[in-house]
Amino acid sequence: MYELKKVDKKFPGVHALKAVDFHVNRGEIVGLVGENGAGKSTLMKVIYGAYQPDGGQIMIDGKAVRFGNPRAAMEQGIGMVFQEQSLIANLTVMENIFLGYESQFVRFGVINWKAMAAAATKQLAKVKLDIDPGLVTAELSFAQRQLVELAKVLTLEERVQGNLVILLDEPTSVLAKEEVDLLFKLVRELTSRASFIFVSHRMDEVMELSDRIYVMKDGAVVDVVDRGLKTVEQIQHKMVGRNVDKEYYREQRQKPFDASQELVKLAHVDLVGRVKDINLTLHPGEVLCLVGTEGSGREAILRTIYGMRTPVGGTITIKGQPVSGLSPQGAVARGVGYVPRERKIEGIVGGMTVYENMTLSQMGRHSRGGVLRIAGERALAREWIARLSIKASSEMADCGNLSGGNQQKVVLAKWRSGGSDIMLLDHPTRGLDIGAKEDVYDMIRDMSEAGVGIVLVADTLEEAIGLSHTIIVVKDGAIQKQFDCAVGAKPSLYDLLHYMI
Amino acid sequence: MDFQRFKPHLPWITLVVLVAFVGMVDDTFLRPANLLSLAGDIVPLFIMALGLTFAIYIGGIDLSAQSMANLITVVASVYLASFGWGVAVLCLLVGFGFGMVSGYVTTRLLVPSFISTLAVGGVAFSLAQFLSGQRALNMDAAQRDAVFGWMIGKTGPVPNELFIAAGLLAITLFIERRTTLGRALKAVGAGEPAAAASGINVARYKILAFAISGTLAATAGLLFAVKLSGGAPTIANGFLLPAIVAVLVGGTPLTGGVGGVLNTAIGTLIVAVIRSSMLYFNIQATQQQMVFGLVLIGAIALTIDRAKLRTVK
Repeated sequence: MYELKKVDKKFPGVHALKAVDFHVNRGEIVGLVGENGAGKSTLMKVIYGAYQPDGGQIMIDGKAVRFGNPRAAMEQGIGMVFQEQSLIANLTVMENIFLGYESQFVRFGVINWKAMAAAATKQLAKVKLDIDPGLVTAELSFAQRQLVELAKVLTLEERVQGNLVILLDEPTSVLAKEEVDLLFKLVRELTSRASFIFVSHRMDEVMELSDRIYVMKDGAVVDVVDRGLKTVEQIQHKMVGRNVDKEYYREQRQKPFDASQELVKLAHVDLVGRVKDINLTLHPGEVLCLVGTEGSGREAILRTIYGMRTPVGGTITIKGQPVSGLSPQGAVARGVGYVPRERKIEGIVGGMTVYENMTLSQMGRHSRGGVLRIAGERALAREWIARLSIKASSEMADCGNLSGGNQQKVVLAKWRSGGSDIMLLDHPTRGLDIGAKEDVYDMIRDMSEAGVGIVLVADTLEEAIGLSHTIIVVKDGAIQKQFDCAVGAKPSLYDLLHYMI
Repeated sequence: MDFQRFKPHLPWITLVVLVAFVGMVDDTFLRPANLLSLAGDIVPLFIMALGLTFAIYIGGIDLSAQSMANLITVVASVYLASFGWGVAVLCLLVGFGFGMVSGYVTTRLLVPSFISTLAVGGVAFSLAQFLSGQRALNMDAAQRDAVFGWMIGKTGPVPNELFIAAGLLAITLFIERRTTLGRALKAVGAGEPAAAASGINVARYKILAFAISGTLAATAGLLFAVKLSGGAPTIANGFLLPAIVAVLVGGTPLTGGVGGVLNTAIGTLIVAVIRSSMLYFNIQATQQQMVFGLVLIGAIALTIDRAKLRTVK
């Protein structure tokens, strides 16, 4: 019923969509997978009306349509559940659900809140969420907000003639396993009301949920797979054009670390808020992974070691020296490097070149009397571009135009080229495609071998288990349990979950 | 042609088109003597715009520049007699100090720069009124010529102000392109969170940017006082708007991170051409600010990077 015929989209220098054919049947769940930059986001934006295609046709029930903006697409039954949630935090749940469509509750210029609450309760029932629609959205958990967002899209059902198509963009990326299961159950039930397009980096989830999977590569659909006809490896092969290494997390390269020395030691560290009594020790060559749910305090601990948060109690010792009043400048001077989760915001400076980004944390080393030695900076950048095989036209390329994986390599090169031997990695593989993820895993093992101590907050539990020497489980700001993760004696997912939730 | 790729070239194309246009209607315009005096007259404005470039380059603004120049014309006139050439040092220190205050208020008290500099400008204006007793002051002509005469003379046909402008442009260009300070300011303008997460002391560099802006506004005020041989608390009024226009039409957007002092040089020339063509077309002085206001709106709308600006309030 919803169909794209030979849809084309071009941006300056990029042919983002190449004659894409795509269709969704009534009540169907269609998966959409591809590496970063394969064209998934562009295709989605065309579907929900944010972009207009340069060529080809959009058909609904056999009739050609054209959407000038997302609202026009919504009028035709196309709804989007955003990855970055689009709810407004300081409005109530019901206000969010009917945002922009309040007129149905207005009598004599005043909103009838009771009617809106009743209608909102009806919408929330569709997603099995039993909350007071008068609650302020900020008080909900992330998973609850996601369901509210879905309920908001489902209001289209009453407003629109015909069938609904709902896009889910990475809906599971920050959900715990149980929450994912609940969401999937709900989506399957909702197929009586709508069709779904499910976009995710997590191949197993796409395989589990979808009736059909579109595989994209370089702006084109390279394969359409019906449920159960291909394995994860076969689909990944299509996506990247090669086989994924069986030794995905490079466990064969995991070597015992040097326990006789201490790089970082936190003793009884308390932070403002929930994080209390944190004790941990990082050794050279060790990968120490902090595991916990969103908001458990993992990031706060990382940022404390980097001096971005100041402890209110306890002591931090870096390389044997107690430090107080640590700032990022002080941390960098002591050899700490930080790879933040928000790569495009905190990791790289878009608009600056690759070499400028690489030396940003170590300008003192590339200058005399405040005057930069640019030739030296460029030579350093060329060396690291070659060493990490960064795909950039040259060291003069704008970092903002690189792909996510290459941006991440630039961030890692920034710290490694400056000799940082304590690395704090916050979701280093977030949003990266498989090939780029493997590169990051290799780099982590390289750093380990070079005696760098790494504190990691991983994207998934599998990644945490696969990569680490030591896992510390954090829950509600307190350390629950420390696991030793020597090769062959790694804890299972279940072991970790037991302490996480 | 794609507008995004065309955009960086817009300033100099605008300048060439404007010069060609005015040159065609006004046949005296393109005479070298006219061009030289035109360029010489715009130098105080250029120096102020040069300073403003640093504030705007980091994504801020310095609305105190005009009041600073006013204050400095008064300071220079009052203290020339007692300090001689030392008054120049005093002027620059005052500018640097006020700029530091703006930067401190912006970074440590977290007051947006358009308010903090407006407030600091108010303080500077009051101080100028207090020092001058709300009168226009005159410098002793002989002493002015002895100490600062070199600033306003001519070398051959070229006004000396142009050498000062070229010297300051060279210094600021060097700071922007070749020093850690310039690199840090670019990082702060283009991506402040990433600069902070790279261990750069963002607050310190921001304070420095405002201090440079203040120092150059003071330099502009000093030169202006020397040219007019006196000072008054409102003498430089009417500078702020064209100076901001010069920075923005030059191609340094309000969102910061791109452009720079060379762009401001081009932007100032555009302002100079617009200003002289307004004289030619008999647009009254009272209406000139209106034209600059309109050009400013147009320039902001064209140059601002909306990807960095989530909402406009």
